[in-house]
Amino acid sequence: MTAYHAPLRDHRFVLHELLQVERYRNIPAFADAARETVDSVLEEGGRMAEEVLFPLNRSGDEEGCHFEDGVVTTPHGFKDAYRTYREAGWVGLEGNPEHGGAGLPQIVATSVGEMAGSANLSFETYAGLTMGAAHTIDTHGDDAQRETYLPKMFTGEWGGTMNLTEPHCGTDLGLLRTRAEPREDGTYRITGTKIFISAGEHDLTENIIHLVLARISGAPTGTRGISLFIVPKFLTGPDGGPGERNAVTCGSIEQKMGIKASATCVMNYDGATAYLLGEENRGLRAMFTMMNRARLGVGVQGLALGEIAYQNAAAYAKERLQGRALSGSTSPGSAADPIIVHPDVRRMLMTMRAFTEGGRALALWTAFALDMSRHDPDERARRDAEDLVSLITPVVKAYLTDMGFETANLGLQVHGGAGYIRETGVEQFVRDARITQIYEGTNGVQALDLVGRKIPAHYGRALRQVFHPIDQFIADAAEDEDLRDMAGLLGKSFGRLQLATAWIGEQGLKDPEQAGGGSRDYLRLFALVVVGYLWARMAQTARDALGRGTDERAFYEAKLATANFFLTRMLPDTSSLLSKIMSGKDAMMALEAEQF
Amino acid sequence: MPDIGKAAVIGAGQMGSAIAAHVASAGVPVVLLDIVPEGADNRNELAEGAIAAMLKATPAPFMHRSSARLITPGNLEDDTGLLSDADWICEAVVEDLDVKQKVYRAADSARKAGSIVTSNTSTIPLSRLVEGMPEPFASDFAITHFFNPPRYMRLLEFVPGPNTRSEVSDSIREFCDVRLGKEVVRAKDTPGFIGNRIGIYWSYVAMSEAIALGLTVEEADAVVGPPMGIPKTGIFGLVDLTGIDLAPKVNATMLAMLPPEDAFCREFDTEGPLVSLLSDMVADGYIGRKGKGGFYRMLRDGTARELQARDIETGEYRAVSKPRLDSVEATKDSGLRALVEHPDKGGRYAWHVLSRVLAYAASLVPDVAEAISDIDRAMTSGYGWKFGPLEMIDQLGCDWFADQLKAEGREIPPLLDAAAGRPLYRQVKRDVQQLSPEGEYGTFEASPDAWRLADMKRNREPITRNGSASLWDVGDGVACLEFHTKMNAIDDGTIDMVREAATIHERGYKALIIGHDGDDFSVGANVGIALFAANAAMWALIERKLSEGQQAFLALKYAPFPVVGAPAGMALGGGCEIMMHCDAVQAHAETYIGLVETGVGLVPGWGGTKELITRTFARKGRPGGPMPPVLDTFETISLAKVSGSAREALDLHYLGPQDGITMNRCRVLADAKARALSLVEGYEPPPSPEISLPGPSGRATLTLVVDDVVRRGKATAYDRVVAGALADVVTGGETDVTRSLDEHRLLALERKAFMALIRRTKTLDRIEHMLDTGKPLRN
Ligand SMILES: Cc1cc2nc3c(=O)[nH]c(=O)nc-3n(C[C@H](O)[C@H](O)[C@H](O)COP(=O)(O)OP(=O)(O)OC[C@H]3O[C@@H](n4cnc5c(N)ncnc54)[C@H](O)[C@@H]3O)c2cc1C
Repeated sequence: MTAYHAPLRDHRFVLHELLQVERYRNIPAFADAARETVDSVLEEGGRMAEEVLFPLNRSGDEEGCHFEDGVVTTPHGFKDAYRTYREAGWVGLEGNPEHGGAGLPQIVATSVGEMAGSANLSFETYAGLTMGAAHTIDTHGDDAQRETYLPKMFTGEWGGTMNLTEPHCGTDLGLLRTRAEPREDGTYRITGTKIFISAGEHDLTENIIHLVLARISGAPTGTRGISLFIVPKFLTGPDGGPGERNAVTCGSIEQKMGIKASATCVMNYDGATAYLLGEENRGLRAMFTMMNRARLGVGVQGLALGEIAYQNAAAYAKERLQGRALSGSTSPGSAADPIIVHPDVRRMLMTMRAFTEGGRALALWTAFALDMSRHDPDERARRDAEDLVSLITPVVKAYLTDMGFETANLGLQVHGGAGYIRETGVEQFVRDARITQIYEGTNGVQALDLVGRKIPAHYGRALRQVFHPIDQFIADAAEDEDLRDMAGLLGKSFGRLQLATAWIGEQGLKDPEQAGGGSRDYLRLFALVVVGYLWARMAQTARDALGRGTDERAFYEAKLATANFFLTRMLPDTSSLLSKIMSGKDAMMALEAEQF
Repeated sequence: MPDIGKAAVIGAGQMGSAIAAHVASAGVPVVLLDIVPEGADNRNELAEGAIAAMLKATPAPFMHRSSARLITPGNLEDDTGLLSDADWICEAVVEDLDVKQKVYRAADSARKAGSIVTSNTSTIPLSRLVEGMPEPFASDFAITHFFNPPRYMRLLEFVPGPNTRSEVSDSIREFCDVRLGKEVVRAKDTPGFIGNRIGIYWSYVAMSEAIALGLTVEEADAVVGPPMGIPKTGIFGLVDLTGIDLAPKVNATMLAMLPPEDAFCREFDTEGPLVSLLSDMVADGYIGRKGKGGFYRMLRDGTARELQARDIETGEYRAVSKPRLDSVEATKDSGLRALVEHPDKGGRYAWHVLSRVLAYAASLVPDVAEAISDIDRAMTSGYGWKFGPLEMIDQLGCDWFADQLKAEGREIPPLLDAAAGRPLYRQVKRDVQQLSPEGEYGTFEASPDAWRLADMKRNREPITRNGSASLWDVGDGVACLEFHTKMNAIDDGTIDMVREAATIHERGYKALIIGHDGDDFSVGANVGIALFAANAAMWALIERKLSEGQQAFLALKYAPFPVVGAPAGMALGGGCEIMMHCDAVQAHAETYIGLVETGVGLVPGWGGTKELITRTFARKGRPGGPMPPVLDTFETISLAKVSGSAREALDLHYLGPQDGITMNRCRVLADAKARALSLVEGYEPPPSPEISLPGPSGRATLTLVVDDVVRRGKATAYDRVVAGALADVVTGGETDVTRSLDEHRLLALERKAFMALIRRTKTLDRIEHMLDTGKPLRN
């Protein structure tokens, strides 16, 4: 049996103490970000996750979705839970208030999203995709499109999907074949097959709005000829509600490793009526502008599973009695000490904890930048935030999901044999976490995006948003008695990141394969330094709180200790990463393809 | 050979006055005469008016304003006496035989015996010009055909007559080559000589084929432009520039003069769509850039500007669109042959144009030019083509080209028959040979005082090289440092090679020159790399690179052998700094020199500020006290002044009394080498300068100056920050006039100011903007 407790205290720490979002209340989008408001949203969100979503996590996994005659039924209880969830207003939390969204900052929605993801990732995918589709319509649609779809989507009455993948085309969208033929009346007929479409068909909403990438007849081949379309399951009726059934059907659903309660569908388009969203042949671009938000969302899914895995592992380690502490028994009265006394178990728990808390800071810092990139009244500040988001998004997606999986796996390890047994429930976190490394662009592709696109853009301009604050922080912290040691550790790793960045920048121009070969290690090195920086800042925040006097000493002292663990036991991986990167591609590319 | 120490130009129209200006730029006094306009108060009105107008014109006909004083204006009625001591009289009056001969008679009676008379005619045969003129006149007479504008267009076609004395030919050729810097090409006395003969045919073919094949003007220009090594104006852009009204006139002239069997006369379609198109455009006032537009026009609506192109079919204008032609793309990787063989319309167009133009050019040897290289030189130096037409035939494959013509049933020029499958040019060991019309190869003799680095590099290995620069042996114990990055920007590799060059004596060399064949000496440090490093907060690395550059340039300066810079084109930023560390500079006259770092929010940090201030201090006869040179240096660098010529660089002290100017681009390296050799004997490295600077009190003065400029809205608040950092360097930091500062101290100040600025966002914005747009950002 697993348990979940929303980590509200830690969210509050990041939002209020580290990032101090309240300071931005002069910005209209943050007008409602008063501490009490935010706290009550988090509390409600946490309760909903614990009480409504979490109880269905295990049963949903056991039961999975059902498919019959094109109809998909979600597991028992999902429909009711969804109604509760949507009626409480959770779907459109960060939706545009002009179209019926609640207009909360992305950063608050991200916190809530993490809690929902921990409690029940499968469930979270339905609402998550609806918001992904809705934001895309909000950004690229015309007024009529926004008016037609957004209010229904923000309330969760209608669902949404993203249809990119086809049987022969996943990462390489240039290969896309789905066709769109223009009709006289300005609409299009879409024909083709999409696969692996999450929430493509289900029984939670009365209508589903599919966003579909397709090629208009006569459009150029490759990525330059792809357009984006709105294809509703039901065309809008005269009353604005669902009308005629459109020619889009679900052909089957997949049996899969995890997120079993999330329907993964084959979607068949047989001349379905479609409306162009945005400009002709600019579909991929439109999709990309929404990618940052979606990728942050998937990163947070990885984090969410790390969090619940950590909670259960920590609880188990305090209960399970095996062996004696090396330094002498802590519970001489019992037959054995709890396994939490063992250094190797501590290693696992501290790694999990340092990741989830550091990862949370990273996710919320990024979400905050996303808010600023849209809402800061100063144009230059918006551009700076946009630069930061574009640079850090692939790092967030890949690092949080790789580490989310690793953390879920460590959590299983802490459970020993019990972890491997279904009934214990923690193996589900491992299985559920695995997909986050793959969808929304595989982590390998995230690394390529970082080294091939984000780093070189504008002569490394986006780097400035990360490297300059870190550089400044290290310089300042070196003058600070308490932080000097951490600054030293961070400084060393930052130097490695700079070296690797210069190397990648130089090699990228000469021999892109060198940069490609080092890309995954570079992304990890980048992530470690950025999280190390956030940990050092969190340590500073905790130190300041302790200095001011607090009745939460244990909380802040644990922060300092965890910061120290990250900086001394996790951050130094940068050293081996740097050597791997600088060794170049040769060892990697030595064999001919036939030799495999 | 008689020396030309004084010249006269008759005819103060556009060409005549600009020729006079260029002669003056060469330091030669010149008389400029024209008629007395009817009822004129000022009898010299035409010549004086022309000089005044030229002082305002851009691009400037003078290399330096002061040269205008070398022109003596006059008129043909009162002042023919001024011709009496002229060694060369150049006639540039209207293309009217009677008028010209009248001028000749007047000149003949005034000129001294043995003086040279030439005509700048472009249309009248020499045989007609001297018809009926006395025998001594004919023997002193030739045609010198300049291209417009004479300062900038390098081609000069030289056409002697059958009676022209060889001393006359030698002396005028020498003068035009060495003193005026022209590429002198010998042409025969045939209509249009070489350049215009081919150029006019090319223009007709390129325009009419574009119409026939239905290309847009942008498409046509994208094909008959850079892919062929032709300037990016292509054909329609070029006609806009030269004037659409001119095109029918020159066509008519050529048609009248050329024999009817000439391809131009046979192919010219007087009823064709091109003829009516041009006349319609002229009738509507679309005569090109000098009018309201031509094939392109700039539409201005308030502050909005849109470049539009004409739809040839409908005559309507629409926004220009960047053509996407696979054939053009293919050329980038696979060359000219890929272009003409490509099946798309760009490829077909390219073949239609090139096959006709190249075959035409090949047919002109030997009747129009003696040697094929004369044809190629005329087109490269007169029309700015990267390759001459016969070189292009070799690029396509001389035999392939002939086969292709044969297959299409077209005439094969005899030259190609003579080639019989062999290339028109070939390389034998270190020699380049060219094919004669008789089918024999003859070797070019590179003159010891006019060569390009390419001549030295042929069939040789460099002394050493890396990706950015190389060292070459250029004979007589002299080495040459060549840059070869994009736009010759200075990067790590360049600095490494500078360091290497500073030890060239260890390999037995006794002098070094720095120069190459490229258009621009160097546009300065590769700021893209610096920007990336700054974005990644790699301050220590940046400072180290800065220091390494300073040390490398110092090593050059104090090397135990003479170093002579040989710049041409742009020598900016780091390019200027390296030049200023040479013992002497032998600059091409068209060298544009400047310390432009403030434009990207920085200060010169590779010793440029140090050199300029120490040189300005050391200048003989400068005003006393430390402030005048400080102010001078501060002004030059803070305004990022760039000289409009080598001559102007003297005023800005980028160049000094030890430096020389070479007019002909082909002679720059040879002159630099000669200069370097002249310094070898008894060479001692320069003494290390020490100067006293005013320190904070001087800085306060500069602050006042800058504040005033900012207050008047002539500079931005950030300009003040940049100027402040510069002021710290040029006033010597924390010092006062009683202390003396050495070079190392000044270099440390440069580094400090540079490092302070490169950390600032606005500097990074400026660098990024410069890299993206090529223009400075005023932020
Ligand atoms: C449960 C689930 C839900 C999904 N939901 C959706 C959805 O809602 N909508 C949707 O459109 N899609 C969805 N997908 C599809 C998913 O986004 C793709 O599977 C993913 O993008 C990878 O594409 P692919 O499977 O074709 O793998 P491939 O592209 O074939 O990749 C195979 C491997 O090659 C690597 N690779 C590929 N190209 C490169 C390259 N250029 N450089 C380096 N490495 C490379 C990849 O990283 C990967 O390791 C879902 C998939 C699953 C399993």
